[in-house]
Amino acid sequence: METLKPEVAMLFAAKEARRRKLARLAFPEKVRAVVRLQEMAAPVFRARGKIVRVWALEDEVMNRR
Amino acid sequence: MKRTLQVLNELERDGVVERYAIGGAMAATFYVEPLLTFDLGVFVILPQNAANLLSLAPLYEALRGRGYAEEGECVLIEGVPVQFLPAYNALLEEALREARETPYEEVFARVVRAEHLIAICLQTGRDKDRERVRILREQADLDMNYLAGVLQRHGLEGKWKPWRP
Repeated sequence: METLKPEVAMLFAAKEARRRKLARLAFPEKVRAVVRLQEMAAPVFRARGKIVRVWALEDEVMNRR
Repeated sequence: MKRTLQVLNELERDGVVERYAIGGAMAATFYVEPLLTFDLGVFVILPQNAANLLSLAPLYEALRGRGYAEEGECVLIEGVPVQFLPAYNALLEEALREARETPYEEVFARVVRAEHLIAICLQTGRDKDRERVRILREQADLDMNYLAGVLQRHGLEGKWKPWRP
């Protein structure tokens, strides 16, 4: 089996570390991250004809005022 | 989201639902990295009706009365599409009973335990459930003894073995 080059292995390890760091965020911060994911993904879903709605969070509404 | 949770808490306080708990991708997100989802999955225990039916109609009616409209399989509550699922078996009833209360800003939310999320994924068995189990196994702090008990009580040990690494 082909082994990963050390540089690539390091990249994968860093990615994994970031995912674990994200897992430790407080729940409200995670909810905000989910909404950011929705904002990024919604145009792709809509282009495929799927109807999706990005959540409206109260604090985001306040920030936009 | 805070207002959405307040509405869920009000529904429980007013007896529209006996108990609720967040499930699905948002519950998993509580334990692992943020996962993309467009709806908030909520398990509910409904009050017993005369016909002993698991009908969401009284819940939808109560929500309409509060000004929240249905949108596909969801109800749009304060900007968040909420998908309600009645507890239809013993595993979901247990998951609801043992769900944890957690603060969210100034309100509280009840979230299904990670071990129950794994058991529900095993029972449902779709490709995305398999992926969710993998992430929960990698990132959540699981109580393996508690998980073993859940799997044993609900006859899921056989399904768990092939899903382990």
